[in-house]
Amino acid sequence: MFATLVGAYPRTPLPGQPFRLRAAYGQLERGEIDRDGFRDVQDKLVRELIEEQIDAGLSLLTDGQIRWEDAQTAVARGLDGFEITGMLRYFDTNTYYRQPLATALPAWTHPILVADWRFADAAARDAARERDLEPLPVKACLVGPYTLARLSHAGEFSREALTMALAEALGQEVRALVEAGAPVVQIDENALTMIAADDDDERALATRALSRLCEAVADLPVAHLCLAVTMGSAEHAGAPLLYERPFKSYLFDLIAGPDNWRLIAYAPTDRGIICGAADARNTARDDEPVLIWAARYAATLNGRGLDRVGLAPSTGLEYLPRDRAKAKIEALAEAARKAGLPGNELAKVIDPRAVDARSAALGRHEPGTGTATARATGGQP
Amino acid sequence: MSNGLWTTSVGSFPKPPALLKARTDHAAGRLSDEELGALERQATIDWIRFQEEIGVDILVDGEMYRGDMATFFAEEMDGFEIGGLVRSYGNRYYRKPIAVGAVRRSHPITVDAWKFAQSLTSRPVKGMLTGPYTIADWSFDEHYGSRREFVLDLARAIHDEAMDLAAAGARFVQIDEPAASARMDELPLVAEAMGIVTDGLPVYAITHICYGDFMRAYPTMLDIPVDQIDLEMTNSDFALLDRFREVPFTKHVGLGVVDSHDHRIETVDEVVRGIRLALEVLPPEAIFVDPDCGLKTRTVEEAEAKMRAIVAGVRQVRAELGIGDEVPAGRPTPGRSIGAPHDAATASGATTSPEAAMP
Repeated sequence: MFATLVGAYPRTPLPGQPFRLRAAYGQLERGEIDRDGFRDVQDKLVRELIEEQIDAGLSLLTDGQIRWEDAQTAVARGLDGFEITGMLRYFDTNTYYRQPLATALPAWTHPILVADWRFADAAARDAARERDLEPLPVKACLVGPYTLARLSHAGEFSREALTMALAEALGQEVRALVEAGAPVVQIDENALTMIAADDDDERALATRALSRLCEAVADLPVAHLCLAVTMGSAEHAGAPLLYERPFKSYLFDLIAGPDNWRLIAYAPTDRGIICGAADARNTARDDEPVLIWAARYAATLNGRGLDRVGLAPSTGLEYLPRDRAKAKIEALAEAARKAGLPGNELAKVIDPRAVDARSAALGRHEPGTGTATARATGGQP
Repeated sequence: MSNGLWTTSVGSFPKPPALLKARTDHAAGRLSDEELGALERQATIDWIRFQEEIGVDILVDGEMYRGDMATFFAEEMDGFEIGGLVRSYGNRYYRKPIAVGAVRRSHPITVDAWKFAQSLTSRPVKGMLTGPYTIADWSFDEHYGSRREFVLDLARAIHDEAMDLAAAGARFVQIDEPAASARMDELPLVAEAMGIVTDGLPVYAITHICYGDFMRAYPTMLDIPVDQIDLEMTNSDFALLDRFREVPFTKHVGLGVVDSHDHRIETVDEVVRGIRLALEVLPPEAIFVDPDCGLKTRTVEEAEAKMRAIVAGVRQVRAELGIGDEVPAGRPTPGRSIGAPHDAATASGATTSPEAAMP
């Protein structure tokens, strides 16, 4: 049992701290600092955010994606064949991305995200050393081919051609990340939530694209590809699309897409499940028993076990102020810790009615009395 | 001679550098409310003069005293706390409100600022409000747990503000709903809330919607009970106009003809092209010409240049087609409550000019 981010984390400062990144961005635009100077500021922030994740108790880290203008252009600018055009709303959020326009079928010519992943990985090792901890893994994240194609303008090409060209190109980027040592490469396919129940053509296209992507690392057994779907339900994308591809784990948004639970129910036992159960788009504190319930339910389904289950926010945490995001990951890590406890230990740290259906149904719980067993059975043997 | 192709602006203009610095100093406690207010009023005067000088028909005050469009209203209402910074795009951030109790308007929020701006000019100045759906969508909710209840409480508050603006003399009131196109399944809620806002409002009502999936939102967006829907068109190279051929647009349109988020200044020819494309599907008396969105993210020079291009483009087309520039009275149109057409026949001819709506 572990806790992780989906990927993005606020690039804003904690209350009372200077907003160096925003200032540096302005300085860069005015020519007061150069690209290297701007990158130094980004580097410092990445180190700070990695330390924040470690100190909160997360076990699988990210660089917070603070270098990205948005998830689409972060990749599209590195591929040949795209021009970046007008702004569009990102799903139903109050954030925007610049839409890539295909001027040629996209092609991969060089690693796009590898240097940033290497920096984050080194920063995580440094932070662990300073804390006398074992190094924690840093995952690499990138938008998947179906989503990037669907959120782009295909120009004079068919979206099918664009999607498959992107599957080929992004497959090479994934391979470069795996070869660089990324222990987990997360493919963000939020556009799977846009597939309608009767949309067989879209389902087939997404299936072919993800198959092609996975083929790029088929000869690298060390590769751990995680498929992440947030911003809604991927129920209509369907279990075969997800589980007949060799992803080793899946991350689902269970707040915007509660129907994703049905997909989790079909997940093969040997696949990891990360429950996006903490609301990444509201400041309200998440109910700890609900987080624990989500994790343990996912562990129970098909006998998966606690070792193959993690907790996460429902999507990137960039939608929250920094202090609220920090509180969320601290709560997530604590919930993951408790969810990983043996049942009798868990009963000592949480109201058993939250996790024990029998107690809840019988209304027997007397807070603060008796042993865990007695509390769970109302004192009866 | 018919009148039409009125020039206006979506709402915000860039704050001059001195005012930006003053706002920073004010936030740090180095500048008093009075000193900041004086600079805001001077910047408002400058923008009103600029719009008059270049010949804009319907003016805005430029929102020199506002930060984020949702947070500004939340700061003035009961029931909100203002949270920390969140990013909207690029290097743009805003303090996102948090609903921690029932939201209520306890006092007029924009009326004094509107009165000040209107006192500077004989041309109409729009009253500028943020719509209830957008304020709710761009806030965190730790109180309601029901988006509908949250939105409708806000609708009642914004209705009171709109009525106060009308009572003060505003002929045009714009209720911005940029979030309206984010969730198709909630467009009926947007329309329901706007129905509360504009219920009994005796003046011309506009809503501005931007950066969403217009292709999916159209024609349902026509159910929003306003006289005009202002849309960003340049950003998508006027693609939505093709949909108007299939399902006629039954309201007046605010036609965005310059990109508000591009440093490049559009040429007059580009503005003229956009207007001509719109004239293929709408009559001139149903078209108000403006930027895609508020111009506050541009420099003062860029915003001025974009506005000059708009006015020059409109003048060229007006001269070519013999269209007059008499500004409408600003009364409700019969089309305000007409929703999306069920077929082309019911929609044809539904577009009504402000003049036609006059008693």
